[in-house]
Amino acid sequence: MFCLSEMEDTVRVPPDLLKLPLEVAIKKVLQKLLLNKVLSIGLCVTIYDIKSAEGGFVLPGDGPATYKVRFRIVVFRPFVGEVIAARFKESDSNGLRLTLGFFEDIYVPAPLIPRPNRCEPDPYNRSQMRWVWIFEEQEYIIDHSCQINFRVENISYPPVPTEQAEDAKPFAPMVITGTIDDDGLGPVSWWEGCSERNNEDDDT
Amino acid sequence: RVKANAGALTNFEVLDLLNSRGASKDTTRVIASETVSRSEYKVYDYLMETAASTQTRDSVTKFSDKCKGFKLAKAEILNIINLRPSSDVELTPILEKPDEREIDIEGILALVQELLPPLPTVEAHKENEQEETEDGEQPNMETSV
Repeated sequence: MFCLSEMEDTVRVPPDLLKLPLEVAIKKVLQKLLLNKVLSIGLCVTIYDIKSAEGGFVLPGDGPATYKVRFRIVVFRPFVGEVIAARFKESDSNGLRLTLGFFEDIYVPAPLIPRPNRCEPDPYNRSQMRWVWIFEEQEYIIDHSCQINFRVENISYPPVPTEQAEDAKPFAPMVITGTIDDDGLGPVSWWEGCSERNNEDDDT
Repeated sequence: RVKANAGALTNFEVLDLLNSRGASKDTTRVIASETVSRSEYKVYDYLMETAASTQTRDSVTKFSDKCKGFKLAKAEILNIINLRPSSDVELTPILEKPDEREIDIEGILALVQELLPPLPTVEAHKENEQEETEDGEQPNMETSV
């Protein structure tokens, strides 16, 4: 779900950072600019390295030194079809919301939850609805009790809204739609003990 | 000018990178905060709960190499490394159209078993974080192997 992206950009290093070694100063500026931001290529997770920096000219009337920098960043950008381990965040009548901690906009819409199922008010949390899968007369509740594996169906980058209602959810610049409707997907407890390979022959 | 995809990284490689910045060293997370930001710590915390936290560069490289005989896509190999499936039902959702390809499921699982370290257990994770102390009670920790 991570990959390297190489970029080239003009970076302005403010005068107060110029006492630091150049690479450190440039990295600091890049971090402020990019860390934890969603770019067209995904969520920037960390600056990987600076490949080159040239310039350093100070333009007249301007304090910062300007560099043309070539660098690489690590981005979070899963591929469609990837299976990812996540945790339950919340659920409502539309479906589930999962989280990775550093990324929380993963949605499993109702049609991608295995059927038959039912959606009922959560007895532990009045503001929530919870989903229950019914299989062979057993009920499997979907909640925060264990890791949930999902498969990526789609990633979208909604355009920034020009206006938002007061109580609207915070804008999510990157949204992953996932499915848990397949063997091996969903809460891992559903599949434990399912022809699990024995670890007894391990020689560690 | 952007090269959007300059190479996929396994979870292990990203964790290794964060470790090299000192993410694991400072449990109070104050001293390392100069080099590791809060958002980077969140990625670190996530990865520490996955298979990546027990993997080594050697095991991941060896596994990738040996996978060449199984006719898997690069993305599938990456996914297997990241998830470390230990059963048929854990492996099949990773594979694209497994029924239409002749994939040696048993062979892949055996290779995973052989080359990739087992998933972290909660106790082992906590042990690695705690420093050894003479005083104070030890919580009931089992001795690590």
